[in-house]
Amino acid sequence: MLKRLSFAQTYLLLGVLLVISLVASAGIGAFSFTPAEMLRYLGQRLGWVPMTSADALGRSVFLTLRLPRVLLAGISGAVLGVSGTLMQGLFRNPIVEPGLVGTSAGAALGAALVFVLGGNTALAFTRPLGSLAVPVLAFLGAFGATMLVYRLSTSFGKVNVFTLLLAGIAVNAVASAGTGFLSYIAHDPQARNITFWNLGTFTTADWKGTEMVGLFFVLCFLWSLRYGKSLNALMLGENEAAFLGVNPQRLILQLLIVNTIMVAVDTSMVGVIAFVGLVIPHMLRMLKSSDYTFLLPASALFGAVLMEVIDIVARVIIPPAELPIGIITAVIGAPVFLWILLRERQRAGVGFYG
Amino acid sequence: MPRFPQRPRVALAMLLALAAACSRPGNDAARDPASPRIVVVSKQINEFMYELGAEHDIVAKDLTSIYPREIMKLPSVGYHRALSAEGIISMRPTVFLTDGNLGPAAVLTQLRKVGIPIVIMKPGSTVDSAQMLMTALGTRFHHEHAADSIVAQWKQGMHDVLQDTLKWAGKPRPRVLIIHFGQIINNYLAIKRGGVPDQLLRWAGGDNAIDSVGGMARLTPELIAKAQPDIIIATDVGFDRYGSAAKFATMPGVALTPAGKSGRIYKIYEQQIMYYGPRTPAAIREIEGMLHPELASAAPAGGNAQPAAARP
Amino acid sequence: MVEIRGVRYDVGDTRILGEVSTAFRPHRFNVILGPNGAGKSTLLRIATGLLHPTAGTVRYGDRPLAGLSALALARTRAVLSQHVELAFPLAVEDVVLMGRYPHYGRTATTLDREIVHRALQLVGMVPKRTQPYPTLSGGEQQKVQMARVLAQIWNYDDASEHKYLFLDEPTSSLDVHYQLHLLDTARELLRYNCTIVAILHDLNVAFQYGDSFFLLEGGRVVHEADCADEVPGDVIERVFQVSARRVSDPVNGSGLWRFSL
Repeated sequence: MLKRLSFAQTYLLLGVLLVISLVASAGIGAFSFTPAEMLRYLGQRLGWVPMTSADALGRSVFLTLRLPRVLLAGISGAVLGVSGTLMQGLFRNPIVEPGLVGTSAGAALGAALVFVLGGNTALAFTRPLGSLAVPVLAFLGAFGATMLVYRLSTSFGKVNVFTLLLAGIAVNAVASAGTGFLSYIAHDPQARNITFWNLGTFTTADWKGTEMVGLFFVLCFLWSLRYGKSLNALMLGENEAAFLGVNPQRLILQLLIVNTIMVAVDTSMVGVIAFVGLVIPHMLRMLKSSDYTFLLPASALFGAVLMEVIDIVARVIIPPAELPIGIITAVIGAPVFLWILLRERQRAGVGFYG
Repeated sequence: MPRFPQRPRVALAMLLALAAACSRPGNDAARDPASPRIVVVSKQINEFMYELGAEHDIVAKDLTSIYPREIMKLPSVGYHRALSAEGIISMRPTVFLTDGNLGPAAVLTQLRKVGIPIVIMKPGSTVDSAQMLMTALGTRFHHEHAADSIVAQWKQGMHDVLQDTLKWAGKPRPRVLIIHFGQIINNYLAIKRGGVPDQLLRWAGGDNAIDSVGGMARLTPELIAKAQPDIIIATDVGFDRYGSAAKFATMPGVALTPAGKSGRIYKIYEQQIMYYGPRTPAAIREIEGMLHPELASAAPAGGNAQPAAARP
Repeated sequence: MVEIRGVRYDVGDTRILGEVSTAFRPHRFNVILGPNGAGKSTLLRIATGLLHPTAGTVRYGDRPLAGLSALALARTRAVLSQHVELAFPLAVEDVVLMGRYPHYGRTATTLDREIVHRALQLVGMVPKRTQPYPTLSGGEQQKVQMARVLAQIWNYDDASEHKYLFLDEPTSSLDVHYQLHLLDTARELLRYNCTIVAILHDLNVAFQYGDSFFLLEGGRVVHEADCADEVPGDVIERVFQVSARRVSDPVNGSGLWRFSL
């Protein structure tokens, strides 16, 4: 179906879906806003429309809570979608997650350190960071874990992809053990903080955090767009890519760094969200094309759409409370992934997608 | 009043809008729009409010506030460590009341940004501070007489029971293991020394079979074996998962303990022992009865889930 | 031409290749022959720039290989490997388009697409140009790879630049039809200012298609010949450890070798 459209038309379609899902997500929830109200609040904020006191609560909730949250959800979806695409391109393997290289687990460990030991003198250096302590340490954790995995799997300057995957699994295990240990020794309230944060949530979104994640996403995404062709070439193998003028080692290293930055900043804000990076590129390949010059922008758009829908679900299922995002992505993502695997088995012999 | 969504244009969200429309929480039809609306996130404060008779302005509670039974009619804004500011705000509270034990921390910031008044009332760690909480609640919600009366009765009750339990001084003190069930982590926990349940236990003439201080520890067979309790007291949810003392004794490690062999495994309601309240004197007597059945003192029979003390 | 000067390649203490000093003839089909482990692949990889020699230099014409940027090199020479693994369902024409990647920046030009079309024509795969690559047979896939490689070093009609085509046992897994088809297509390029350097495992096919022959043994070139007849039987016998008997093709008199242990 999508195969009939050109790339540009596909982007347009995804863009329209994104706008619809954004408006829906901004309007649905424990508080409901009609599009008219949303426009009025925005107008009031910009000074074009006079403010009224009756609007005060609704406007406040919309502008300070709902809007940054909805934008953060979309940006997170884009981050995870693009990251999944990058990883699958670098590893030439469709069963790769942004968290597989240790990034998410490392970020979670960094944040857990702040949650549990934050008041401890051992981490006194974080106090000047104030509320930024969590994202900064999460970033350091993610970066450290990723670099460790990279070092473990590089010899003579060349990256061995299989060793990279295995090292990622090992580092993930160590980081998870660290986080688990921290939550075990933690006093009760702190331990529960980690548990819930680990499941992923957009509840605590504010403008500062959203802007930060948005900024890093835009920078990293624009950077990665330059490498669509190179990722395509890499599909043929590292040697073939080298023959076509690509430097595979440098490509892998650069894109790994870009991926880490994006995912670490996002994870430190919203916690660990699984399966999105795995499922988005899969679905796009099935529906349209395996060309990375298409997949990169499409996975950003589609990831954002998916995350908006998931966030709506999180808010309407058990109102006025919310379900953690990670639970929903697992519930949806795991069956979808199994379905993909079954489809692949039915068409055995003609590659992963048939 | 909460508004109902109209979303015909949003095809993608139609299904979800349906779900949203079906999920309007609470029944506020009878409320006067000008009356105060309180959202309370704290088991202890909720119980105290109902004790005072000040509960009719409460519009929402947190997930784990389940006492008294009447409170279950109210909608829940979620687990107190996984709250959502929007959910709380959608209840249009005139004040958000909590004992300070909530998460994520950003929720308070968000409520402030939107201008919701927040009142944090900490219960402290002693009976006196809990009584002061009751008094403070009475003052704030204009039920001073009720508060005074309850606190007076409470003080008297504490005095009487503490006098009674002096007789345990110098007598052998059974080793008691208090087992709680953590629903979020889906695991049993052993309550350590230094907290409220441990204090009630000591007043009742028992010693905590766990030596270490502070909070709770994950229950393991080794822990039980090292503790060798004479008596096990299990909170309601955890006890009910097994159903009876005999079945509870089949938990790994319990059968080899004196408590398991003698079958001295008792059930108590979590709300009775986790914090100090007007029901504490009764709770102490109930525990006393478990610890020293041969000296059945003048304890009211069947202390489980007593309704709140008579209101003025 | 491709000039190999004083090239050595060591891995740790083991010498894989060296010393090799030779020159692959320009505008000819050069064939590297030798038994397994003789260092043929290593020599080819050094000649294509994939491996850096421990010592020595490689020159394309008068330009040293080391001085060429990755992109300039990619525009000058292309390599067809024995087997290219592609697990994702790219369309045939998208695979061939990759050959043009070194030539364009963000978007492919009409000229690029034209070249892709003509490359597909040359290998006879135009009807299947939108088909997903993994659904093709092995022979068809190798044809597509050939088209990609052709597109990479396509000489515009003026054929002003000297291009180099390297073949690394490209026909090992193909049946005789695809073998001959592929090598015929390769020879076509010789008319357009191109030099071919190939590793072929089948001696008879090598002698049928090749113009110049380089016999490798133990990491050294032990014999060079500019004509199939100039490769003596005793050298073949020694290098390949077989008995070799030369037979004449009754139709055109060309030499055929029969081997036995």
